[in-house]
Amino acid sequence: MPDDPRLTLLLALADDELVIGHRHSEWTGWAPHLEEDLAFSSIAQDEMAHARLLYELAEPLAGREPDALALGREPQEYLHAVICERPNGDWGYTSARQYLYDLADDIRLEALETSSWKELAGVAATIRLEERYHVEHAELWFRRLAEGPVQARERLASGLEQALPEAIALFEALPGEEALSADGTLPATMEHLLGRWLERVGADLEAVSLDYVLTRHTRLGDLVPTSSGEAEEGPTLEVPGLEREDGRWVHVGAFGGAGGRSGRHTDDFRELWDEMTGLYRAIPGATW
Amino acid sequence: MVTVVTLESRVRAALEAVMDPEIPTCSIADLGMIQRVEVGAEAIEVDLLPTFVGCPAKDVIGADAEAAVREAAAGREVRVRFVYDPPWTTERITAAGKATLREYGISPHWEGGPASGPVVVPLLSKKAGVPCPYCGSAETVMESAFGPTPCRAAHFCRACRNAFEGFKRKEPLLP
Repeated sequence: MPDDPRLTLLLALADDELVIGHRHSEWTGWAPHLEEDLAFSSIAQDEMAHARLLYELAEPLAGREPDALALGREPQEYLHAVICERPNGDWGYTSARQYLYDLADDIRLEALETSSWKELAGVAATIRLEERYHVEHAELWFRRLAEGPVQARERLASGLEQALPEAIALFEALPGEEALSADGTLPATMEHLLGRWLERVGADLEAVSLDYVLTRHTRLGDLVPTSSGEAEEGPTLEVPGLEREDGRWVHVGAFGGAGGRSGRHTDDFRELWDEMTGLYRAIPGATW
Repeated sequence: MVTVVTLESRVRAALEAVMDPEIPTCSIADLGMIQRVEVGAEAIEVDLLPTFVGCPAKDVIGADAEAAVREAAAGREVRVRFVYDPPWTTERITAAGKATLREYGISPHWEGGPASGPVVVPLLSKKAGVPCPYCGSAETVMESAFGPTPCRAAHFCRACRNAFEGFKRKEPLLP
């Protein structure tokens, strides 16, 4: 783990963008129609550029060049949330994840625009202007699938059930977060941002009568800690840590799919990392 | 003093002649990308704002700008870099820039409004009324926000039945 909490923050943000950008790029040539092929290719291009910008900001703190940060680290040194590394699955999961992720990204960038670290605030403002198009894209697909036909709605719902528990961990507390909050680098705690994200997600889901996915989900991934350390018998019927209080959804306690911010990842990332960094490792210092 | 002013105007003129490689009718000055030019006794510093962070033409623009300034620099060191504060917005495009964009078949996107009435592709036709650069009609729809480059969206004109591109609107978000 980096010693400087500012570096931890930058790597968490940049790795999220790089890794989900890599997944988006896998739709190039395979999306359901040409416009979506272009859309995901273009969004991937944006996300990787945003990652690069954040790695450039991290360069003096890390003492490593942007390329080395993006491609020259071991898998356990990446600090993205686990949701970013999951395979694309079907269009329902892809749409659900993009919606949940880009909304989360928008909320944290909005907060970072007021960061006391001026360079980061400027970068966040620049990135957010472009992310606006990603959010619009995700919201359009969210509504279109939610409004049916039945198979589309079912696939979106099942994608949401699968993605939600791990999406919450996008807001897992960062190691060293207290120091970042104290000096205003991170103007709001991750837990606070999670609350704002949940409010928006909850309202959107209720508007299309899909809020039941907040209390029902498919089996969780392999990183979910249980109190006994063993898998519990039978399906759990709630996303860990979500409760409804005073008419809105709030987070209390546990995270599903946590660990990404400390470098704990699944085998899905091992495969992605192999491919993403293959050329960089095979021919160190290669230039285009 | 007089020589410095002359040099600065020469440097600016050289910079203003640098064209966007993907929109060859439009200069980087018309796109509002030149943020700062500082002619010092030893070095000339230029700050450029990229339109979109992931613009693949960025490296070419940076190299073209550097070469142009070096030619006018009278032996001084030249430093060209991209900066991100303030963020580039579509408001920075000059009136002349808008005209050259239109000439090239790209509509300045921000002239449109939200879509109304029935639309052919409901998912993608979020914006309508961006004037067609070919026939001028406002009977148009945005088919996708994601066009051939990060800064351009894909539109369709119902009047002359041409596909065209629009510059993506980028302006400070309301709180």
